[in-house]
Amino acid sequence: MRGRAAPHDETKESPLSIETVAAPAAPNPPLRTSRPRELRHDTATRVVAVVVVAILSLLIVIPVLTILSTSASSEGLAVFASIFSSSVNRQIILNTVILGTIVGALGTAIGFLLAYVQVRMEFRGKRILHLIALLPIVSPPFALATAVITLFGRSGLVTRDLLGITPNIYGLPGLTVVLTLSFFPAAYMNLLGMMRSLDPSLDEAASGLGASKWQVFRSVTIPMLVPGFASSFLLLFVETIADLANPLVIGGDFTVLSSRAYIAITGEYDVAAGAAYSVVLLLPAVLVFLIQRYWAGRRSVVAVTGKPSGRPDLITSPVARTMLLAPVALFAGLIVLIYATVVVGGFVSILGVNDTLTLDHYAYVLSGIGSDAMVTTTTLALIATPLAGVLGLAVAWLVVRKLRRGRSLMDFLGMLGLAVPGTVLGIGYALTFNTPRGFGDVVLIPALAGGGAAFGGAVAIVMVYVIRSSPSGQRAGVAALQQIDMSIDEASASLGASGLTTFRKITLPLVRPALFAGLTYAFARSMTTLSPIVFLTTPQTKIMTSQILSEVDAGRFGNAFAYCTILIVIVMGVIGILNLLIRERPVGRPADAMAT
Amino acid sequence: MTITMHDTPARDVGDTVGRLVLSGIQKAFGSGGSRVVAVDDFTLTVEPGEFVTFLGPSGCGKTTTLRMIAGFESPTAGSVSLDDEDMVSLTPDRRPMGMVFQSYALFPHMTVFENVAYGLKLKGLPAKQLKEEVGFALASMSLTNLANRAPNQLSGGQQQRVALARAMVVKPKVLLFDEPLSNLDAKLRAQMRLEIRRLQRRLGISSVYVTHDQDEAMSLSDRIVVMRSGRIEQVGAPDTIYRHPASVFVADFIGRANFLDVDDVRADASTGRASARVLGTRITVDAHPKAVAGSDCVLLVRPESIRVRPFGDTEERIAGNHGRVLSAVFYGESVEYEIETEVGNIVAVVSDPTFTEIAPVGTIVGVSFAPERAWLLPAED
Ligand SMILES: Nc1ncnc2c1ncn2[C@@H]1O[C@H](COP(=O)(O)OP(=O)(O)OP(=O)(O)O)[C@@H](O)[C@H]1O
Ligand SMILES: [Mg+2]
Repeated sequence: MRGRAAPHDETKESPLSIETVAAPAAPNPPLRTSRPRELRHDTATRVVAVVVVAILSLLIVIPVLTILSTSASSEGLAVFASIFSSSVNRQIILNTVILGTIVGALGTAIGFLLAYVQVRMEFRGKRILHLIALLPIVSPPFALATAVITLFGRSGLVTRDLLGITPNIYGLPGLTVVLTLSFFPAAYMNLLGMMRSLDPSLDEAASGLGASKWQVFRSVTIPMLVPGFASSFLLLFVETIADLANPLVIGGDFTVLSSRAYIAITGEYDVAAGAAYSVVLLLPAVLVFLIQRYWAGRRSVVAVTGKPSGRPDLITSPVARTMLLAPVALFAGLIVLIYATVVVGGFVSILGVNDTLTLDHYAYVLSGIGSDAMVTTTTLALIATPLAGVLGLAVAWLVVRKLRRGRSLMDFLGMLGLAVPGTVLGIGYALTFNTPRGFGDVVLIPALAGGGAAFGGAVAIVMVYVIRSSPSGQRAGVAALQQIDMSIDEASASLGASGLTTFRKITLPLVRPALFAGLTYAFARSMTTLSPIVFLTTPQTKIMTSQILSEVDAGRFGNAFAYCTILIVIVMGVIGILNLLIRERPVGRPADAMAT
Repeated sequence: MTITMHDTPARDVGDTVGRLVLSGIQKAFGSGGSRVVAVDDFTLTVEPGEFVTFLGPSGCGKTTTLRMIAGFESPTAGSVSLDDEDMVSLTPDRRPMGMVFQSYALFPHMTVFENVAYGLKLKGLPAKQLKEEVGFALASMSLTNLANRAPNQLSGGQQQRVALARAMVVKPKVLLFDEPLSNLDAKLRAQMRLEIRRLQRRLGISSVYVTHDQDEAMSLSDRIVVMRSGRIEQVGAPDTIYRHPASVFVADFIGRANFLDVDDVRADASTGRASARVLGTRITVDAHPKAVAGSDCVLLVRPESIRVRPFGDTEERIAGNHGRVLSAVFYGESVEYEIETEVGNIVAVVSDPTFTEIAPVGTIVGVSFAPERAWLLPAED
């Protein structure tokens, strides 16, 4: 309905009092005024970024590059070549893949069963079952391996004394049991989180369409969890092929890449071969890690709607309950039996052989070498944990808030400490830091590892703990930072707080709970890790896990059990103290008057 | 809700500080092929104590402009100054400005009291004075008995009042608002609107307020800036914008509008008026300076300015000032008609109607309006 005006001759304009601001020309020409602020802003970020990159280079990039370059020597290349020509080496790789696959699948299945029962059923002892399922996280791997040998070995309490059989569990069967028990908690936690956030209304919609519970389970629940299964499997696969402790204790003739690299370094003193085996282990580990993190991780977001909108339908049929709970109870019983063995084993002479009560093992462990190792290990882990927290948070802050280009690379570098198998990391550190590094006569990095280094090589051990732990801090930091709206930072700035003040008073308090949770887990991991440590302990710096390894090697299981028990107690004690210390004061009290 | 307003003597902010000058500011995001100019050639002076609203459709650059004032974005060209001091070189925390966010942005780990005290604490105020000032700010927003609550224990309206108290307590020279009420329900919105306006008047703080709600803009502002794709379309007092919009876009965006076809425009520049033929009659109306003879023009008449006269149901033709009722909706306080005329369909709102006066659908009615209620403006091209 817009009209067309007839042409007319009057063209004079009228001085009407409307403020038609067709933007009067700016008095001054356009200025590039933005520059100074952005530059200043960038300087702080750049300094943090440079420092973080330098630290990450020292802690992870250089050791990995050293391994790569060492393996590229002629001896190393010979090993690479032999992988395809030598049937022994082919068998080692095959063993590694078989073990990873079996443990990945079995651990995921058990993790799923336990998670499903937690989410979809009501029963007594549910909370205890949850704690039992998390027990392997706070215990050193030998606790499991040694107890399994004692219980199910050739002269095992269950196998020989109870059942009258004498199986050989060294090798694949033993490794499968022990590694599955060690690593299934990761799958359990992963799937539990996912199932809790699955939208129950989808199930309801399906059963509203007339599907039976079994059909719903098969056609809705399982397909939605496929990304979770995939990521759990990959996670466990990597953990398994990276593990060194168990193949050493219970592997027998079943050699895998990590134990082969260990033998090359410590038995054959063949550094190049060790590096080469490490590279063969490193590549699939990093590859699978990348897939797990960037593909499966992303896919799982699609399946989860975020906020559950109702209570899931509980399983009530007696048959289904029995069918689910029986294996769960059996499995929980097994874990309890194993840890009971660990505890009891420390208090008797030789469990199953001479069951007289004794405190000899504890006396041995707590006086002398053992107490040294205890103090050193705990101290080093306690030093490393806050450092790892700062590093992880700095990376998270850069990734979430500051970097645009290069943020994926920074994220990846930060997580690399978790992706690189411990064995590889340990060998890399030994190769890199046993001798001073520099150009010509200029020493850039002094020797940090080995008996000749300062602090008896403790620095390198702290560095390993830091780089293994900071990814936990980083992951927690990224998740927490992503939840803090930018406008909260901006509100603080507009009230007059500088970037640093805002970080101290706003960002840090908001991120702290998640960060501490991540770091508590990391602390437990540091205390119980062995694979990188065996390459770095020195006579001056004894670490509990490697002490346990030598006790097991020497067949002194009682001492090993006592060590394990003490280690578990320390880890749980420190976690408990940390939890008490960092318990946040709740903000505000409901409905009360302000006292002015 | 009672609003506790202590009428205290004016603070140290008066009618002399808070003159905000934006000149020729531009903001472009990205570079090369993906370069987006979000704001361009934006020039405006906010006088001390003035309340200016940015109004415009989504994506027109309101938030971007506000963030350039606050310092969260830096302009790619142009300057921002406050009381003759250059702002562009200052980081947000150095600018004497307060900001109220759409998402409230309260600090979740602090109580209401701590939230409001945050800015004053940073200034290093002595404890006693701090408590006094915060107490006063809380009282003026009726928040006194919520002081020890956490933000997540408050309703949306309460949260926004805390955000307001927090921004005002530091006595900024300029207050910036980015759609602060859009998360509240309609009734609360109207209430908060009044509260904001009264507080702002009392404290005399220059304010820039972003909204896409025209009621909010009309009721709050001394002046409204209507924006369109990154540029200023018009700046003016609410009644000017409503009665004498600078373009069809503005007329359409603010309130409802009939645009009538006109013939034979004759403009008289000396009076600022023009005459034209519409609905069969020649009338003389106020005209936009660009509405000149030889250009396409339309006549803006607001629905409430249209008068509808029942005419009997016998006549069949619609011509001149006669039209046929297409629909008549009774709203209680008004009747809204849609009427088919020879210059297109016209919407008319008749207020306070008597039941017997409501023209039935299909009947012919007489349509008219007072020429002083009309505004001739150039047609959109
Ligand atoms: N960081 C950014 N990068 C690229 N483009 C941006 C960015 N921020 C805003 N824009 C673009 O600039 C334009 C103006 O955005 P702005 O947020 O100022 O709009 P608005 O008027 O506040 O809209 P709304 O009413 O929806 O809040 C939009 O086209 C938007 O897509
Ligand atoms: Mg906006």
